[in-house]
Amino acid sequence: MSLIHLEGLSKVYRVGDQEIRALDQINLRIEEGEFLSIIGSSGSGKSTLMHLLGCLDTPTSGRMEICGKDLAKASGDELARVRNREIGFVFQAFNLLPKLDVVSNIALPLVYAGVPTAERLVRAKKAAADVGLGERLSNRPPQLSGGQCQRVAIARALVNNPRILFADEPTGNLDSATGRMILEMFDALHAAGRTIVLVTHDPAIAAHSRRVIEICDGRITREYKP
Amino acid sequence: MNPLVAISIGLREISAHKFRTCLSMLGIVLGVSSLIATMALTRGIEDGTRKFMQQMGGLEFVSIVNKEPSSKKFEFANLSPGRTLRDAEALKQSANFLSHVSPEILLSTAVATDGGGNPDRRMVRGVYPDHFVIGMHQIHAGRFLTPLDVERGSRSAVLGDSVAKQLWPDTPAELAVGKTILIDSRPFVVVGVLALYEMEEQARSRKSGRSVSRRYDPFRQKNETVLIPFNTMFHELRSGVFPLDSLDTMKLETLTVRVDDLDHFQPALEQIRSILDITHRGVDDYDLETRQDWFDRMESSVRAARLSGGLISTISLVVGGIGIMNIMLASISERVREIGIRLAVGARQRDIFWQILIESVLVSFLGGLLGILASLGLIEILKSISPTENVPVLTLDAIFLAVGFAIVAGLFSGLYPAAKASSIDPITALRYE
Repeated sequence: MSLIHLEGLSKVYRVGDQEIRALDQINLRIEEGEFLSIIGSSGSGKSTLMHLLGCLDTPTSGRMEICGKDLAKASGDELARVRNREIGFVFQAFNLLPKLDVVSNIALPLVYAGVPTAERLVRAKKAAADVGLGERLSNRPPQLSGGQCQRVAIARALVNNPRILFADEPTGNLDSATGRMILEMFDALHAAGRTIVLVTHDPAIAAHSRRVIEICDGRITREYKP
Repeated sequence: MNPLVAISIGLREISAHKFRTCLSMLGIVLGVSSLIATMALTRGIEDGTRKFMQQMGGLEFVSIVNKEPSSKKFEFANLSPGRTLRDAEALKQSANFLSHVSPEILLSTAVATDGGGNPDRRMVRGVYPDHFVIGMHQIHAGRFLTPLDVERGSRSAVLGDSVAKQLWPDTPAELAVGKTILIDSRPFVVVGVLALYEMEEQARSRKSGRSVSRRYDPFRQKNETVLIPFNTMFHELRSGVFPLDSLDTMKLETLTVRVDDLDHFQPALEQIRSILDITHRGVDDYDLETRQDWFDRMESSVRAARLSGGLISTISLVVGGIGIMNIMLASISERVREIGIRLAVGARQRDIFWQILIESVLVSFLGGLLGILASLGLIEILKSISPTENVPVLTLDAIFLAVGFAIVAGLFSGLYPAAKASSIDPITALRYE
């Protein structure tokens, strides 16, 4: 069984009288352990797809199964649970909480998973060490470089040991050298068996993955292996 | 989510915006402190009045007072002899729930020493020995009036402490016993001097040598009293004033009884009524006044004071709640992105809801704690300006009540911001700059 299974998935926004079909009849299967890229230009619908896959939103119609659960009509609590347990997010803008130190930022998903304080600390420290941030645990995000911030974000995404890692333009705010380092980290995670879905507009970055899906005007227009 | 986590997040949020939070707490601080102070103040008045009542006389006393007969009985009003010694005798003989019956007649007349000093006009009371208990007297020197004094109409007198001091300024009370005074030019032997009655506070300041404050003294009347036997009063002093009266038909100035046991207070009142209905020939020209009536009157005025104070405090608590709501709304519009991030990593809407609500309650609770501190200061100020017998009394339930109200205010004012925060869409929130 596929880890992610989409069938006839559509998302329609209504702006006044206008209907905007952000996603139109998407069919897609993603298997466990894949490293997949979704590419498309701005406004192609790739972000909408990402939000649906990331359980931040629900589709207008179609089937959406993630980790064996049908989530097309799921309640907010169910979606929150999947976001918490099965999915890790890495964003372009890092999206760390500036008021919290590195450890607390990494431990944030564990707070909502109901993990006790002591265990949270242990797991967050381990996740930080895994991304090479063993030193700067008590710093706060504004004191860190972009690459360090993104590594904190990756540690946060992985701390609850999710099955899927979503990355939305993870190198967009980084210089090319740091970006390369982050991508190498993804390679390593993939090699370790993690399922990774990378969303980008840049085919060169998508080339890191093993399978590329191109989206245009809400439809999958091309699929290839780099 | 663990509520402790929500509390620690809330505390961090509060400490990140100390000044803003303090400003928003101000209303709650005022509300809580004024509520506690009001309750302390009314409690103080209540205690003071109650202590005063205890010193003046207990609940077991009942005064029989005159009253206009009701319109139904108005035409028969002349049939009633009014309050006379017969009432007293009848009550004494038939009302077994009463332990003491004290009829009194008064006369304002000249009182002087036999040494030829200037006479003073004083209120002289003709009393029965029962007056000793009813008037809650204590003997300092000598003895009180006896049944024999009344029976024989002896010329004996018992003086209040102030009277003795004024008549013989340099003589201790013990030596005043046995001296002779002139009441309306008739010689009376002083057989006893009563104790000096004073409030605890007066006694304290007198002992420590400070000057006694010249405020209203509830015991003045008792200290200035001149008591003589009832029959002596009638035969020697009153019969000349009202020649047609006999001992039995003369109207009493006061008639006070003491109920034996408070457990059968109501039956005792029934007894008094049924006896007086006979002696008054069915005319309801009397009324029973109990200390309970005093208490009730006092309690209702305290309640009114408490209500108005409570109302003012409630208004400031509501205003404080609005202040908190305002600050919470400002806070969540600043924290849209944070809320988006929390949702993205798996917070449920209700986690966000509780977090904002708990923060709001925390602010109001801290405001409540500050309010307690402020109320302590406020009460100190009130203490220095309020009369000493009505010192404000801080009670634990006042504190709990006020803080409870503050928490409720925080709860209500947090509901709307919490609902608003939890309905934020994560995607929009994550894009929010």
